[in-house]
Amino acid sequence: MGATLGTAGVWLGLFGAVVGVATLALGLRRRDPRLLEAGRKYTWVILGGAVLAVVAMETALLSHDFSLKYVAENGSRQTPLLFTITGMWSALEGSILLWAIILAGYLAVMVHHFRKRATDPLVGWATLTVFVVAGFFFALMAGPANPFRVIHGTVPTNGPGPNPLLQNHPLVAFHPPMLYLGFVGFTIPFAFAVAALVTGRLGEGWLVETRRWTLFAWGFLTIGIILGAWWSYEVLGWGGYWAWDPVENASFIPWLTATAYLHSVMVQERRGMLRIWNLSLLLATFSLTILGTFLTRSGVLESVHSFTESPIGPWILTFFGLVVFTAVALIGWRGDRLRSPGSIDSPVSREGAFLANNLLFAAFCFVVLLGTVFPLLAEAINGDQLSVGGPYFDRMTTPIVIALLFLMAVAPVLPWRKASEEVLRKRLFWPAATATLVVVLCVATGLRGLAPLAAFWLGTFAAGSAVRQLALSARRQGWRGLVGRANGGMIVHIGVVLIAVAFAASHAYGHQREFRLSPGQSAHLSGHTVTYLGTSTVKASNKTSLRAQVRVDGGKIYAPAVQQFPFATQAIGSPSVKSGLANDVYLTLAAPPDHPGGSAVIGVIVQPLIVWLWIGGAVIAIGTALAAWPGRRRRPTAPVSAPIEVETTGAAGTQPPEPVVVPGA
Amino acid sequence: MSNVSDVDVAVGRSKRHTARWAAISLGVVLLLFVAVLATRKSAADKQAESPLLGKQAPTLSGTSLDGSQVSLASMHGKWVVVNFMASWCVPCRDEHPELIKFTQRHQAAGDAAVLGVIFDDTAPNVRHFFSELGGSWPVVDDPNGQTALDFGVRGPPESFLVDPNGFVIWKGIGQVNADGLDKLVAQGKARGA
Repeated sequence: MGATLGTAGVWLGLFGAVVGVATLALGLRRRDPRLLEAGRKYTWVILGGAVLAVVAMETALLSHDFSLKYVAENGSRQTPLLFTITGMWSALEGSILLWAIILAGYLAVMVHHFRKRATDPLVGWATLTVFVVAGFFFALMAGPANPFRVIHGTVPTNGPGPNPLLQNHPLVAFHPPMLYLGFVGFTIPFAFAVAALVTGRLGEGWLVETRRWTLFAWGFLTIGIILGAWWSYEVLGWGGYWAWDPVENASFIPWLTATAYLHSVMVQERRGMLRIWNLSLLLATFSLTILGTFLTRSGVLESVHSFTESPIGPWILTFFGLVVFTAVALIGWRGDRLRSPGSIDSPVSREGAFLANNLLFAAFCFVVLLGTVFPLLAEAINGDQLSVGGPYFDRMTTPIVIALLFLMAVAPVLPWRKASEEVLRKRLFWPAATATLVVVLCVATGLRGLAPLAAFWLGTFAAGSAVRQLALSARRQGWRGLVGRANGGMIVHIGVVLIAVAFAASHAYGHQREFRLSPGQSAHLSGHTVTYLGTSTVKASNKTSLRAQVRVDGGKIYAPAVQQFPFATQAIGSPSVKSGLANDVYLTLAAPPDHPGGSAVIGVIVQPLIVWLWIGGAVIAIGTALAAWPGRRRRPTAPVSAPIEVETTGAAGTQPPEPVVVPGA
Repeated sequence: MSNVSDVDVAVGRSKRHTARWAAISLGVVLLLFVAVLATRKSAADKQAESPLLGKQAPTLSGTSLDGSQVSLASMHGKWVVVNFMASWCVPCRDEHPELIKFTQRHQAAGDAAVLGVIFDDTAPNVRHFFSELGGSWPVVDDPNGQTALDFGVRGPPESFLVDPNGFVIWKGIGQVNADGLDKLVAQGKARGA
C-alpha cells in the first residue's frame, strides 16, 4: 500500500517535471505566453508528487511497514518516535526524497513569487531549469535510489533501526533538513543565472531576485553546518566539532563560493563590475553542491557520513557533468558580452576590498576542494592511496582565515572608489585600539601563542569595526539601523568573529587527559575537578546504556555512557558535556569498569569558549534574517545613493536596498 | 540599448573572447576531473583491503544450525566463502540466491564452498531464513560476536574468500554474486598455479 502510494508520488513528480519542461520549452520556443502560463502549473504536480511520496514514506516508517526495503533496513519497533520520523533521512534513498521535497517546496515558493511575471522568458527559463533539476532527483528515485523498493518473499518482523549514531541525539532532526534547505536552495539562484545567460538579459532584475534567495539558502546552509558541528561534538565523543571530513568539506565548499557571491554582488550593484564573476560564482555554488553529493553519496571517498556503496554514483556524476558543461558553455557563449565598462579605481576602496575578499574565498575554496579530492587525483595519477588530513587543511587555511579576518575589519569602513589615509585612520582607530587592549589583557592573564593571540586581535578588530558601523547606523536610523543588508551583514560578521575566536581558543588552549578512577576518587584538569561516583545500567527500548556518574566541580552529576544498540556490534560512546560561557568540560566513559564497583577510565577534555561557536551560529542566523528583512523600498526613480552620507559615515550604513541598475549588453 | 552597452560590445571585441577561451580551458580541466571521478572505484572496495588479506584466516569454529561442529580449518583444501549474514538484513536476502548458485556450481567439483556466520541474529531466525530461501551450507552461530570481531566485520553482508591453504585473499563489503565469486576463485587458482 505504502509502496504503491509512494511510487505513485515519485512517478507523478517525474511526470510533472518532464511535461513541465516540455511545455515550457515549447512555450519559450514559440514565445507563447499561454504555454508558459500552463508550464509553470506543473510545479503543483511536482509538489503533489513529492508530498505524496513523503507522506507514504513517513506512514510506512511510523506503521513499521517492513515490506518496504527502506523501512526494513532503517526502522525498528524499538526506535523512539523521533528517530523513526528522522529515519527518512537516515539513509541514501530517503535523503534523496528529502532533497526532492525541499526542492519542490522551493520551486513552489519561487513560482508563486513570480506568478505575475510567469510569461517573462527569464522566469520561464528559470522555472524550466528548476524543473530539470527536480526531474533528475525524481528520476533517481524512480531508478537507482528507489526508496519504495519492496521486499519479495516473507516480510521481516522487525528491522535494525537507523544507524546508532543517528538515533542518539535530537539534533538529527534539525541538522540534515537545515543543511538540505541550504544545499537545495542554491538551485534557485542557479536557475536565474542560467536564465539570465540564456536570455542575454544580464544587467537587471535577476540580480536583485537571486540575491535574497542566495541569502536564505546561505543562511540555512550556515545553520546546517554549525548544527552538524554541534551534533558531532555532542555525539561522536572525540571532543571535536570539525574534522575536515569529506562530507563536512562537501557542505563547506559551496558555502565558500556562496559567501564570495554575497559580497561581490554588491560590487556589481554599485559599480556594474564583476558580472561574469558573479554569475560564475552562482553556477559554481550549485555545481559544487552536486559534486559534494557525488563525493559523499557515491562512496568514492570514505567518510563517517558516507552511506554504503550505492548505484547512484554514475547518475550524479553524469548530472554534475551536465551542469558543469551547461555552465561553462553559457559563460563561454555570453561571457564576452558581459564585460563591464568600469574598472577599479583604487585597491584601497570598498570594491578593492571585495575583490580581495573574493580572491581569498576562491583560494579557500580551491584549497579545501583540492584537499578533499586529492586522494582521488593521486590515485588516478600514480596509484598511491593516501588520505589528506587535518594538518594540511589547518596549515593551508589558517593564513587565508587570518587575511579574511583582517579584511573583515577594514573593508566595512572603506568608502567606495577611493579611501584616503585620514579616513582610514579615523575609522579604524577605535577598533584597533580595543583589539590591542584585549590582546594585552590576554597576555597579562597568561595566555601565550602567536596564532590564537593573532586571531583574538583580528577578531576584536573586525568585531569592533562591525560594532562601529552598527552603532553609527543605529544612532542615525534607530532600530532600522539594524536591519537591511549592510547592517544585518555586520551582525553576521560579529557571529563569524565569535566562531573564529572560539575556534582558535578551543584549538590552542584545550586540555585532554584520561584518568583511571575508582568510585569516589577525584581528578583535576585545568581548574576543574571531576569525581567518579560509579556506574549504572539503563535499559531503553532501543538501547542499553552503561552510564558513569561523574560529579563536576562538586556540583551537578554528568553521565557519560557507553550504549549498545541491539543490531550493532560496536558499542557507541556517548559523551556528557558541562557547558559554560568560559569553558566546557567534556566527559567520556573511555573504559567501563571490568567488574561492578571497579575503576573506570574517564576521558576529560576541557576546552575554552566552545559554547561561543553555537552562539556565533545563532548570531549569524539572526544577522541573516535581519539582512533579508526588506529595507525601506525606494522608488526606481529615487536617487540611488546620498553622496553626503556616503562621504561622512561610510557607505555600509547607507546602502540603498535597490541596486544601481546597469543596462545589460 | 544605451551607450554603455555599445561600449561593452566594443570592449568585448577588442579583448578577443577572453571569456570564451577561459571557459573552454576550464571546460577541459573539468572534463578531466569528471573522467578521474568516473574511473574511481568505490571506497568500500578499497576499504575491503583489510589487514587480514594475505594472512591466515582467524580461527573460525562453532556449532552449526543442525547442531554439528563446524570449523574453517576442517574445510582446508577448498576455496571457502566466509559469509557474515543476518535474517533481518535485506541485502543478505538479496544475495542469498547467488550464494545458492555458487554452491551448486561447485558442488560436483567440490573445489569451493560457503561457510555462513550469523551476525547479530539468533539461530532460530536464521534457520527459518534458510528453510524459506533454501541453501544447505554450514552456518556457524556467533552469539557474542567474537568471530565478527576477529574478522573486522562492520555489518552484514560481508564476505571473505579463503584459499585452500587457509589464507584470506579477498574481502567484500555488501552483496556478492556468483559470477564475481567464480572470477575471484579463478584468479586465485591462476595465481596459485
